[in-house]
Amino acid sequence: MEGDKRFWRAVLLALPLAVFAVFVIWPLASSFYYSFTNWNGFNPDYDYVGLDNFQKIYTDKLFYQAAINTALWMIAAILLPTALGLGLALLIDSSVPGSAAFKSIFYLPICLSAVVVGQIWVWIYQPDWGLLNTVLEAMSGERLRYAWLAKPDTALWSVIVAWSWQQTGLSMVIFLAGLTTIPEDLLEVCEIEGATTAQRIRMVVIPLLTPATVVVIALSVINSLKGFDILYIMTGGGPFNSSDTLAMHMYNESFKKYLMGYGSAISVVLFLIALTIIRVYFRQLRKVDELYG
Amino acid sequence: MARLVLEDVTKRFGAVIAVDAVDLQIEHGEFVVFVGPSGCGKSTMLRTISGLESVSAGRILIGDRDVTHVAPSRRGVAMVFQSYALFPHMTTAENIGFGLRLARVPKDEIARRVTDVAKTLQIEALLDRYPRQLSGGQRQRVAIGRSIIRDPEVFLFDEPLSNLDAALRVRMRLEIARLRDRLDATMVYVTHDQTEAMTLADRIVVFNQGHIEQIGAPVELYDAPANLFVAGFIGAPAMNFIPAEIEAGENGKANVRFGAVSLPIGREAAEGKVTFGVRPEHLSVAAESEHDFLGRVEIVEKLGAESLVYLQTGFSKAPITMRIPPELSVHAGEEIPVRVGRKRLHLFDAEGRVI
Repeated sequence: MEGDKRFWRAVLLALPLAVFAVFVIWPLASSFYYSFTNWNGFNPDYDYVGLDNFQKIYTDKLFYQAAINTALWMIAAILLPTALGLGLALLIDSSVPGSAAFKSIFYLPICLSAVVVGQIWVWIYQPDWGLLNTVLEAMSGERLRYAWLAKPDTALWSVIVAWSWQQTGLSMVIFLAGLTTIPEDLLEVCEIEGATTAQRIRMVVIPLLTPATVVVIALSVINSLKGFDILYIMTGGGPFNSSDTLAMHMYNESFKKYLMGYGSAISVVLFLIALTIIRVYFRQLRKVDELYG
Repeated sequence: MARLVLEDVTKRFGAVIAVDAVDLQIEHGEFVVFVGPSGCGKSTMLRTISGLESVSAGRILIGDRDVTHVAPSRRGVAMVFQSYALFPHMTTAENIGFGLRLARVPKDEIARRVTDVAKTLQIEALLDRYPRQLSGGQRQRVAIGRSIIRDPEVFLFDEPLSNLDAALRVRMRLEIARLRDRLDATMVYVTHDQTEAMTLADRIVVFNQGHIEQIGAPVELYDAPANLFVAGFIGAPAMNFIPAEIEAGENGKANVRFGAVSLPIGREAAEGKVTFGVRPEHLSVAAESEHDFLGRVEIVEKLGAESLVYLQTGFSKAPITMRIPPELSVHAGEEIPVRVGRKRLHLFDAEGRVI
């Protein structure tokens, strides 16, 4: 009997492990391997080129542009949905009329795929008849009309707004869950001690939401590092690479310029950056756990 | 002077009446304890005084000021919660000084006052610790410290010792008694523990189903309960209740009869069915010639300082509890002669009111 159990345990664990190996470990290992080659993605013949690809990264101006954009993207993708989600959660938690309906409405975008979200916002930003320009024109005439996705100075930020619109619902729901874990009597102490709403939120609610904030930020970091699809739909990294992120840059080098070896090298660097961020983050997480766990 | 006056205070939650037209005057410096079973309205009453709950009807006055519709923070009250309600992300010092920080008191003054309070409560060494690093008793002290520092006119305690273990509860009870003597403030204390009520209170208010059953000094409630409810609630183990009848006795005075027992009550009373109440400590093992009834010992609980004996009798379905000195040797199954102390007989009419 005992042996039977162990056999089935092994089988049941082996299945997901096999899937993980085929779809995660093997591609990961392949990327590492190809990053030392000049493979073009089709040709069965390719050469081992050592660290050439990594040297090329070192001198690639577009890579730096993409790295800066990725940093901007990450910071904005963490700050905006977190701040907006917290604000919405506090408003909804204060039991404004119709808060249940608002909750569903704000959560809805997260149920859409990034492609759909991207398409919706492409329509909104459309220069001639898009919603945004139509509204701006009604307000100010021609003056504020702008080709949001077609100009290098606004393309990245326009995508960030679309991204935040989608992600805010998720952080809001996590913060709402966090708010329900704050003991009622702590809020009553605030009331008896005479805290203003602002004092209560700043000195009590936000610190007590730390565990929820940790989760929100973790998801934002992970989602933003993966953020590729919405950029691909909305700008494709353009114009003039102004909204290129590392993931986008890697895609363009690998699948548009057919420099699979070089693309793999970029992906390796991206992997190492992600690993570093996540390691630092998990170390912080442990500190939070000690305080609140 | 902070006199606390409740005038006809009613609190409804939908159709449920939690507090029903309560009138009460608490004098300055008095320590009043609200007791009663769960759901009797005592905590709601306290929360209404604090302002955390609004009143449905009636008035609340603190020091002759009508605070019925005043915000909790402006009522001059401080509250100590059962759960301590300490902020987990703040140190002891920050928790105690919280109210002062909200009021934007200068930092050095906060530090000075926090140190003073911590000295009073003997928690100076814990000022830099977080709540999770404190024991239950220490946490409760911090919670008390937070309430003292604001120098309130009225202290409200909501079952502050319920989360502590028995030994600690006794120690904290003493500390609260010391605090009561040292602080010149009015205190209202809610508990379901009648020992706490008896030991701490100047006056006890017994709540039941949203209204006050009786108000009085602890000994008063113990010696002269106004009704069956108070008689049963105050005193541990609880008073024995025996179905009985009043009948005519000698010299125009009445007797109370239950089973074969007939006891003179020493005064006149109308004949009829009553409930006869006698406390376990007013029953004693008697010499064969002086006993009132025989009871078969069901269980003996030896508590060390005393023993509790549960008796089966012919006249009461519930076992009769008696309290005896520990050196008396009594065994289960044995039949023992019992004498009823004549001075402390309680009689209640069909409505439960004392006769």
